[in-house]
Amino acid sequence: MTRREWLGRAVKMLMGAVLAWPVMRFVLARRYRPPRKVRIRDEVPQGGFLIEPEFVLFQQASGPLAVSRTCTHLGCKVTYDESMRQFICPCHQSRFHWNGRYISGPAKKDLPKYPVEVIDGGKGYIVFI
Amino acid sequence: MRIEKTGEISTALLLVSAFSGFVLAYQYEVAAPFISTTAIEAVLPFGSFWRSVHFWSSQAFFLALAVHVWQCTDSITHFCRSLRGRIHWVVVGLTLPMALYALFSGYVLRFDGTGQDAGRIAEHLLLDVPLLGTALDRLVMATADEGLNRVYAVHILFTVLCWGIGTWYHTRRVTMGRRIFFFTLSTSLLSGALLYAPIDLPDQNLHLIKGPWFFLGIQELLRYLPPVMAGIAFPMIPIAVLLILPWLKNRKNAYTLLSVWFLVYATATLVASLR
Repeated sequence: MTRREWLGRAVKMLMGAVLAWPVMRFVLARRYRPPRKVRIRDEVPQGGFLIEPEFVLFQQASGPLAVSRTCTHLGCKVTYDESMRQFICPCHQSRFHWNGRYISGPAKKDLPKYPVEVIDGGKGYIVFI
Repeated sequence: MRIEKTGEISTALLLVSAFSGFVLAYQYEVAAPFISTTAIEAVLPFGSFWRSVHFWSSQAFFLALAVHVWQCTDSITHFCRSLRGRIHWVVVGLTLPMALYALFSGYVLRFDGTGQDAGRIAEHLLLDVPLLGTALDRLVMATADEGLNRVYAVHILFTVLCWGIGTWYHTRRVTMGRRIFFFTLSTSLLSGALLYAPIDLPDQNLHLIKGPWFFLGIQELLRYLPPVMAGIAFPMIPIAVLLILPWLKNRKNAYTLLSVWFLVYATATLVASLR
């Protein structure tokens, strides 16, 4: 390779790097998103539950509990089996107790829980995701 | 079949896939992916037909490209005599993972039950990649933060890159044999008319779902191995071996590794499909 060819290549690579930098900075930047509030207008009886797309809300004597439906293995949406009172991941078959505690499968970690606020004198809820 | 023929068939299939995708883009909405997909499928005139043409031509394109690349490995010594030839091999070889992403993201973009979970799994796998995970996720997925915007953008980008690399860079021509093109076009249109492009309902509360056919092996391996091993390292093996093939002196070991990989993946796919 001659010195002229080497210089030509170096200039092209430098131009590529100069272009790549603003592209990467723009693409990788993360916009701020405030936490979402999911408002529920249903009354859940004590011992009952309500299945929502992102969580299942259980009404216990101690208060409401919102358990995330996002599997801690790879993020699949877990399903709730009422008869077994268990969450099951349809992708890789991890299992969790109704309260999110890990039982078996590749997930290894408990399902997260979301903060819940009771509104309208117990006739509604706000879940903070 | 000769290498040139499979190459031309791949290019023709990519053209049909890109054109049908372009038609679908007029009615597809990234902000309402499942609703717009079901509207295309069930309500809009010829929507089901165009979805089907796009789905089947894309599947056929990926398979034809894989066959074409495999055929080319026979003549690798001839292609890669010089450094320029080796670099050419690597650049052209990159169309294979790009085509795989375009095919996979097609499932994610329809956003049905399978698509939603496929997207979530892909995002978590990318985030598990050491050091580069977040950057890779922001570049090609980021579904949790950005919805399907980036998936759609990269789906189109990789299709265009496959076309550009496969024609302008690879063959220095953008024309193809008329016979092959019309044969591919008519077969794709016929498939669109006769076959159904799958779609399922999201959130069906099923206890077992299966991913796309080419993802089943990974889905099965993810039950036993850590995500980075099963979802990133293992699928990268054949692509990495293909890309470094020109630099290897003894290619017999590489072919043995590819054969073993294929056997393991086929077995995992079979086990997953029997569940």
